[in-house]
Amino acid sequence: MKIVVPLKQVPDLVEDLDIDDNGISLDYEYLKMKLNEFDDHALEEAILLKESDGAEVVAIAIDGDDVDKMLFTALAKGADKAVKITGADPYVDNHALAKVMADAISGMGADLVFTGVQSAGDRDGQLGPIMAVHLGAPSVSVVTSVKVAGGAVTIEKEYSGGMMAEFDVDTPAVLGIQAARQTPRYAPVSKVRQIQQSASIDEVAAGASDGAASSSITKMAHPEKGGGAKMSSDIDEIVAILKEKGVA
Amino acid sequence: MLSYEEQIAFILLVVICGAIASIGFGRIFKIINRGSTADRSDNLVGRFVKALIDVGLQRTIFKARPLASTFHAMIFFGFSFYILVNVNDVLEAYVEGWTTIGGGPLASAFNLFSDIFSVFVLVGMIFFLIRRFIGKPKVFEFNKNVLLNPSVASGGVKRDSLIVGIFILIHVSSRWLGTAFHLAENGHGDPFLPTASIMAGFFSGMEPASLDFGIHLTWWLAMGLIVIFLPYFPYSKHIHLMIAPVNLALGRRTPNGLMDAITDANKPGAEKFTDLPWPQIIDSYACIMCTRCHEVCPAHNSGTPLSPSALEINKRYLINQKGKEIAAGTCPDNLLDSVISEDAVWSCTTCMACVEVCPVGNEPMADILQLRRKMVFDARMPDELADVLRNLDEQGNSFGESARKRTKWTKGLDVEIKDPTKEPVKYLWFVGDFASFNQNCQDTTRKVAKVLSAAGVDFGIVAKGEKSAGNDVRRAGEEGLFEALAEDNIAMLEGCEFEEIITTDPHTFNALKNEYPSKGGNYKVQHYSTFLLDLINSGQIEIKKKVNAKVTYHDPCYLGRYNGIFDAPRELMKACGVELLEMPRNKSNSFCCGAGGGRVWMKDHDDMTQRPSENRIEEAMGLGDIKYFTVACPKDMTMYADAVKTSGNEGKIEVMDIIDYVLEAMDLQEPVDDTPVEQAAE
Repeated sequence: MKIVVPLKQVPDLVEDLDIDDNGISLDYEYLKMKLNEFDDHALEEAILLKESDGAEVVAIAIDGDDVDKMLFTALAKGADKAVKITGADPYVDNHALAKVMADAISGMGADLVFTGVQSAGDRDGQLGPIMAVHLGAPSVSVVTSVKVAGGAVTIEKEYSGGMMAEFDVDTPAVLGIQAARQTPRYAPVSKVRQIQQSASIDEVAAGASDGAASSSITKMAHPEKGGGAKMSSDIDEIVAILKEKGVA
Repeated sequence: MLSYEEQIAFILLVVICGAIASIGFGRIFKIINRGSTADRSDNLVGRFVKALIDVGLQRTIFKARPLASTFHAMIFFGFSFYILVNVNDVLEAYVEGWTTIGGGPLASAFNLFSDIFSVFVLVGMIFFLIRRFIGKPKVFEFNKNVLLNPSVASGGVKRDSLIVGIFILIHVSSRWLGTAFHLAENGHGDPFLPTASIMAGFFSGMEPASLDFGIHLTWWLAMGLIVIFLPYFPYSKHIHLMIAPVNLALGRRTPNGLMDAITDANKPGAEKFTDLPWPQIIDSYACIMCTRCHEVCPAHNSGTPLSPSALEINKRYLINQKGKEIAAGTCPDNLLDSVISEDAVWSCTTCMACVEVCPVGNEPMADILQLRRKMVFDARMPDELADVLRNLDEQGNSFGESARKRTKWTKGLDVEIKDPTKEPVKYLWFVGDFASFNQNCQDTTRKVAKVLSAAGVDFGIVAKGEKSAGNDVRRAGEEGLFEALAEDNIAMLEGCEFEEIITTDPHTFNALKNEYPSKGGNYKVQHYSTFLLDLINSGQIEIKKKVNAKVTYHDPCYLGRYNGIFDAPRELMKACGVELLEMPRNKSNSFCCGAGGGRVWMKDHDDMTQRPSENRIEEAMGLGDIKYFTVACPKDMTMYADAVKTSGNEGKIEVMDIIDYVLEAMDLQEPVDDTPVEQAAE
C-alpha cells in the first residue's frame, strides 16, 4: 500500500495578512507560511496506517520557502519519502495546484492519496476532488476514518448533522481527510535535524499547469468591520430590540 | 581471647560471608559501570578530600532536619570509631593477653571514646527507631498516586530500616556489654569506661564461668553479627555509609544550570536503567531513603504523582531485584514502567530543591531530565506541551505570537530604547518571552525600561530578532529545539554591538550564562537585581525616598538555587527602604512557584490538591502583617498574581516586583500604591 500525501503551505495567521499592491493577491513576500493543519491530519492518518497495517508514505509538496523543513519534518514523523516539485508557483489557485500535484503523483503508483479536506485557501475543499479528476480516481471528502484490510479500503465519511456513512473505496483513490484518529504528532526538532543530515528530498520538475480550469480574482480586500454582536439573556430586552428593528 | 575452635569458626565465617558479600559488591561495580558515560575524573584527590571533610563535619546532612541530623551525627561518629573498636576486638580474640582495659594513656583514651560512642550510637539508633515506628512521621509516606516498586509498597523500606536498626543495636550493645563483663571479671570498674563500669556493677556477683560465657557470647553477637551482615549490605540501604561519601566525591562540578550534553544524538536521554549516566546509578546506592527530597518537592507537596524519593528508592529496588540482568546489560525494564510514571516525569518543575537538600549528593531531577529527553524524542508528551514547542519552533516564543509583537509592550512608553542591531549599546537587554508577551508582566517590563532610562543606562533591545532563550525548552526535553533557539539567538547577538547582557528573567539569565557558552555564545550576563544594586551602590541610581512597607521576598529557583544570587535582591530591596521579613523557606530552601521546567505550559495534574504557588502565598500570609509579596522573575509575577486570587487572599497581599520599589525610591511617576491594600483591591 502506497499512500501519497500532498502537503500545502498556507499563511501563518499569527501574522497580519497584507494585500499586495496589485490588489488581487496576498503580499506573500513578508508572509510566514506553515503547513495546512488538515494536511497535517492527512499525514498523521497515513503514518498511523503505516504503523498499524504497513504502508509506504510519500510526502509531496511544491517547492517554496521553508518547504524543505516541512518535508524533513514529515520524514521525522515517519514518512518514508519526501518529494519536492520544482519550478512551480506555490501560490497558484487550487485548480492549477491540483493539476501540478496530480501530474507529479500520477506516475508514483499511489494506492491512496490523502489530502487535507480543506485549507485556509480552499474552504470549499476542491483540491482533493479536482486532483481525483486529473488522476481518474474516485474521491471521497470529509473522511474521518480509513481502514485497510488486505488491499480493501473502507472509509467513514462525515455528513452534516453528525451523520456518518461507510464506503468501500476502489484504489487508487483520493481521500480528503477531516481529522486523523489522534492529534498529529509532534516532530522533535532533534529528530528533524538528524533526518536533515541523513535523508534527502527527491525532486521532480513540475509539468505544465495549463489545461486546468481557472478563475481570475478581480479584487481582494480585508473584510469590513461589523458592528459586533451583543449578548443578552434578558427576554424583555430581546423583545424590545426585535420590536425596535421591526421583526416582531 | 577466643578458644581455638571459635577462632577457626570465625575465620570460616569471614571466608564464607566475605565470599558471598564480594559477589554482591562486585555486582555493584558492574552495575555502575553499565551506566552511560560521564566525566568526573578531574581533581580526584581534591574531590575525595572535600567529600571526607563534608562527611566528617556532617555538613550536607545539617542542611535540613536539625534534630534528626544531630542523632545521625551521634551514630556517624560512633560507627566511624567502631571501625577501630572492631579491629581491637579481633586482636583481642586472636592475640593472647590483648586488652585495652587498664592500659596506658592511648588505650584509656580509646576506652573512653568507645564507651561514650557506644552510648551515642545506641541513643541515636533508638531515636530513629522510635521516630520511624512509633512517631510514623507523614513525611515518610508517598502520595497514593506515586508509582512504587511492589516491595516498596509492601513496606520494604520499613523492613530494611528495622533490620539495620536491630543489627546496630545488637552489634553495639553487645560490644558494650562485653566490656562490662570484662570489667566484672576484673572485679573493678574503670574510670575510662564510665558507662560500662556502671553496667559491670550488675554482673559483679556472677560466677567466673558465667562471666566468661557472657564475654564470648557478646563477642560473637558483636563481631559475628557484623560478618553475617556483610552479604546483606549490597541489598540494604545501609550501604549508604560506604557509597554516600563516594557519591559526594564524584558529584557534579559543572554549573547546576548547565545540563549534560547528549552523548548519542540517535538515542538521546534515558529509556532503560543503564541509559542513565553512571553517577546517577550510584545515586541509588547512596540513597538512605530519608525522603528529604520529596519533603521539599513542589510536585509532591501539591499531590501530584512525583516523589523524587520514590524514584531513587524504586531504582534501588529494581537493582535489588534485577541486579544480575542489569550487570549483564540484559535488563528489559524501562525506567518508565518500573521506577517512575509518565505523569510524574511531567510533574517536575526542575526547581532543583531535591538536589539541593539531598545529604548524599543525589540528583533525582537529573534522571527526570534524561527521561524527558527520550520521551520528547519519541514525541511522547502532553498535547499542551507539544503545542507550545510547535509555537516556539514556528514563532520563536512560547505564546505563539508573531515575533513582531515582541516589542508591543513598548507602545506608549515615553522612553527611548535603542536597537543594538543598528547602533552600539553598552547593555543589551534580553527581555525574554514572559516579560515581553505576558500581560501580567508587561507593566513591570515597562517600569524596568523607565528605571534604566532614568538612571541614564545606555541600553537597547533587539526587538523581533530575539527568540526564547530556551532554558525551559531544554528542561522539557526538547534538546533539538533548544539548540535551534540558541543558535538563532547567538547568530542574532553576533550582529549586535554591546558589552554586557542584562535580563529580568532568571530562566533566560541561566540559559545565557550557563548553557550558551557550550553552544559558542560567551557573554557577560547580569540579572537586573545585581545590575540595579550596582547602580544604587555607585550612585547612578539615586534613592530619593524610602518605600515604607513590610514585605517578603521569594527567591526564584533559577536565580537562587541555580545561580547562588540570594543577597543582591535583598540588598536592593533594603536600599529602597522596605522592611524585609523572611518566609520560613528562603534562599536555597526557597519553595518553587510551580512554573519551571516547562510546567507553566502544561495543565495542572488532575490529582493536584494545592498549587505550589498557593502553598507559597499561604506561607507568606503566615508571616502576619505583610503588605507585599516580592518577586524578581516575570514567571513569578504571573504565577503569584494568580495564586493570590485563587487562594482567596486578594486584597490582603499584593505581588510586587523589585523594580516597583526602585521606581518608588527614585521618586519616578507611578509610585507604589500608598493606599491601604483593602481599598486598592476594590
